[in-house]
Amino acid sequence: MMRKRTKFGRYALNVFAGLGLVYLFAPIFFIVAFSFNKPNGNFNIAWQSFTFDNWLHPFAEQSLTRALWKSMEIAAVSTLISTILGSLIAVALSRYKFRGSGGINLFLVLPLTTPEIVLGSSLATLFLGQNFIDFGMTTIIIAHVMFQVSFVALTVRARIRGFDWTLEQAAQDLGASPLRTFMKVTFPLILPGILAAGLLAFALSIDDFIITFFNSGPVQTFPLQIYGASRVRIPPQINVLASMILFLSVAILMTGTIAGMRKSAEKQANAKKFKLLHRK
Amino acid sequence: MAAMIVASICLVALGSRWVSGPMVAVVVLVLLLVLGGVLGLAVTGGPEARRLLAPYGLLKPGMLWLALFFLAPVWSLLRISLSTKESRFSVQYDFNWAFQNYATAFQDFGKQFEHAFVYAAIATVLTILIGYPLAYVIAFRGGKYKNILLGLVVIPFFTSYLIRTIAWSTILADRGFVVRAMNAVGLGNVFEWLHIMDNGKLLNTPAAVIGGLTYNFLPFMLLPIYVSLEKIDVNLVNAAGDLYSSATRAFRKVVFPLSIPGVFAGTLLTFIPAAGDFVNAQFLGNPNTTMIGNSIQDQFLKQNNYPVASAMAAVLMVSIATLVLLYTRIFGTEDLA
Amino acid sequence: MSTPTPKNQMTRRQFLARTGALGAIGLSLPAFLAACGGSDSSSSGDSESLFFDNWPLYVDPTADGLTGTVDRFMAATGVAMTYGEGYNDNNEYFAKIQPLLGNGKPIEADIIAPTFWMAGRLINLGWAEKLPKDQIPNFANLEDGFVNPPWDPTGEYSIPWQAGTAGIAYNIDVTGREIKSVADLFDPEFKGKIGMLTEMRDTIGLICMSLGIDISTITSFDDAAPAFEKLAQAKNDGQIRAFTGNDYTDDLVSGNFAACVGWSGDVLQLGKDSPNVRFVIPEEGGTRWCDTMILPKGVKNGSAAAKWMDFCYDPVQAAQITQYVQYLSPVKGVRDELAKLDPELAENPLLFPDDAANARLRAFATLSEDVEAKFDEEFSAITGA
Repeated sequence: MMRKRTKFGRYALNVFAGLGLVYLFAPIFFIVAFSFNKPNGNFNIAWQSFTFDNWLHPFAEQSLTRALWKSMEIAAVSTLISTILGSLIAVALSRYKFRGSGGINLFLVLPLTTPEIVLGSSLATLFLGQNFIDFGMTTIIIAHVMFQVSFVALTVRARIRGFDWTLEQAAQDLGASPLRTFMKVTFPLILPGILAAGLLAFALSIDDFIITFFNSGPVQTFPLQIYGASRVRIPPQINVLASMILFLSVAILMTGTIAGMRKSAEKQANAKKFKLLHRK
Repeated sequence: MAAMIVASICLVALGSRWVSGPMVAVVVLVLLLVLGGVLGLAVTGGPEARRLLAPYGLLKPGMLWLALFFLAPVWSLLRISLSTKESRFSVQYDFNWAFQNYATAFQDFGKQFEHAFVYAAIATVLTILIGYPLAYVIAFRGGKYKNILLGLVVIPFFTSYLIRTIAWSTILADRGFVVRAMNAVGLGNVFEWLHIMDNGKLLNTPAAVIGGLTYNFLPFMLLPIYVSLEKIDVNLVNAAGDLYSSATRAFRKVVFPLSIPGVFAGTLLTFIPAAGDFVNAQFLGNPNTTMIGNSIQDQFLKQNNYPVASAMAAVLMVSIATLVLLYTRIFGTEDLA
Repeated sequence: MSTPTPKNQMTRRQFLARTGALGAIGLSLPAFLAACGGSDSSSSGDSESLFFDNWPLYVDPTADGLTGTVDRFMAATGVAMTYGEGYNDNNEYFAKIQPLLGNGKPIEADIIAPTFWMAGRLINLGWAEKLPKDQIPNFANLEDGFVNPPWDPTGEYSIPWQAGTAGIAYNIDVTGREIKSVADLFDPEFKGKIGMLTEMRDTIGLICMSLGIDISTITSFDDAAPAFEKLAQAKNDGQIRAFTGNDYTDDLVSGNFAACVGWSGDVLQLGKDSPNVRFVIPEEGGTRWCDTMILPKGVKNGSAAAKWMDFCYDPVQAAQITQYVQYLSPVKGVRDELAKLDPELAENPLLFPDDAANARLRAFATLSEDVEAKFDEEFSAITGA
């Protein structure tokens, strides 16, 4: 009696979850599909005919490509800065116990729990009242680093939780200099966390719209270009570029997963070998 | 620690132009003294001093950046919200305790505030309804495919936020796939009765806006729930089964309570950004469904009315902070990381 | 943490030193970037280069075997021209340039393309440079109707780019009948399927004229108040589906809109692919508008800009622009040139309205800053923003 119910419940739940996944992918499927469309008008909404043209000329829209390039530049610089700053904070928070760490924790979370529109508009009011920095690349990068630092710090801290800091002492007991300890022991172990945080920050920066909207001045980033132009035309190149970014992210994720799986498989194989050796 | 606070205050003061003229020089001097003093102590002081200062040294650059570009703007926002401009297009403000800006914010834009909170709340509930089962299945039934499934959940959100929303506006079009399918199956009338559809339209309705919000913020709910579910020791569930509990009972009494921190975190990460959003309302809504985000954007960029816009943003910020505090009180503080 | 061994002390000092260095780099990067950004904007002052920030789809591109105007210009004059399509909305663009021009700093673009009322605003604020008319001999080709216009009474600051009319665009498949009047837009039969423009002067303008108010003589908000009331009522009743920019063509084609306020050129550009989408100037009257070219204050390349304007006012070149964008050209003699390229287009009444149609068109009056603020505020309240 109980088994039947569980089985039905089991299937129902799986089906529901499956539907959830379909829901998640519906727009994606649409976006990728329509990147192969040859639109009739200025907007890519009705399916006309299949064509590879858009993929052959993905950079045909000059302003769009320029904007994408700008977004990449901004993301690269801001990710670099925020990853350094955020990782330092994360290391400080997990390595040391000190007064005020709770307050720092709260302060880090604060930008994440403020609506983007408040963040963006308040930053804009700050920049409006002064004459040193003009609205443009600088203000966008400053804005991006601001919210990226929180993400990076929290992500890295979550990843290096449980990191055994006594490893550092052990290395130094074995005669390593502090710099060598850092380079050979600490850094490689916390590197995956930092890289993950960096990737997250990069993705956040490329896609940021609301905060950038208020602080961009004359600079057009990729999301801004889409927003601005979307009232007039949506060329299929937007679908193509978006699909490209998507496939690239999937590729990165897959390589990461495969690398991880290979590593754990290696570990398992080594552990097995070790066991076998010991048995003998 | 004290040094850092002083340094932060200095930066905030500088950034928000609270002080001007010779005072600026004084503030800069104080700032430099503090920073210099700390560095000096670090280099010359004894081992104890250095040990205490190390974490602050690490923290300093990041925290100073946040102080300057997060706290100072908020201060600046509050200042401008209480100022007036001499003319519409001037770039100077006079701070004169202009509380009427807040009065305007409440009177003229009450409906937009209402929309923002109501839509965000409904969207949050929907994300729980959709996200929780999905997170549950991945956490408990995922097995070795866990990471792949998780990846699948996250991948759609590597496309641009705007493009996703625009895609929905095409999917939900009047002669689009969804509407036609629903009418064919006969669900159209049911949805009309439920006020989800409006005179044959699914797009440009409140339902579409809520749908967009739900979709765009789903991962923010799903991932925290997943993290907290994954931490649950499956032996606990087995133990419950050993003690003759049914599957649903085990869920209600064991799994769900342990996952509440995740739901809590997810709610915050979903509701807060959703309340301030304007993209979904702009592409998927109609003139009667605008949210406070649209109004703030309009006042800022079209009307150039920075004082009232800042007042609205400040009200939004404070009301959300209050809601979060209440929520935290009820559910207890949890580690959000 | 555990008590520090002597070796750990070194670690901490190292950390601090590293932090200080990294922090210094981190904080100085913005300054570095600002310097880079600064050098970018001044590069346009060197050799003859030109940056024209225009509306999207507003110039003929190099495609389908034809050379676009920009490329023809570059070949003819040797000026290195960058053509940008960053001007999507007057107010948004204004918000972008306001912090710079308001503080007396120049913007990156050498020519921008504000709509006539925005041009008026910029001129009144003193943010426009005088045109070097001695370098634009073809200025004489300007159609009489555009000489010394209300928004630029001395005619020294702006020169029209393209003009057009706003009227009603509709999808006959959805409406089931021909639409001739603004009253049809308020027909309950089309509830929830009507679109309006975010361009206040066109939307309110059409409604005003349908109520018998002459928009060219408006001086205060009260003159137009009845139109605002009517629009607000319609919005509250759910008559209006959305306020759009140029994206109404999509909604028309897809059937989301039955009818909407629209612009002549957009519908023309839909062309033969969508014969069921029509444009009509309402019986009560339509609005006339124009987009202008303006030199923002502090522009460095006035002479290069003058060359471009001169080039565009040659009827031969102007005809090719018109052939693509299909809006009203402000240049004399375009119709004859166009007849050589595309005889059918040269006879199109929307491109070259006859006298009867012209009589029904009005341009919105220039409003003072305060009155304009009131108009914008009230309109925003209706568009729900």
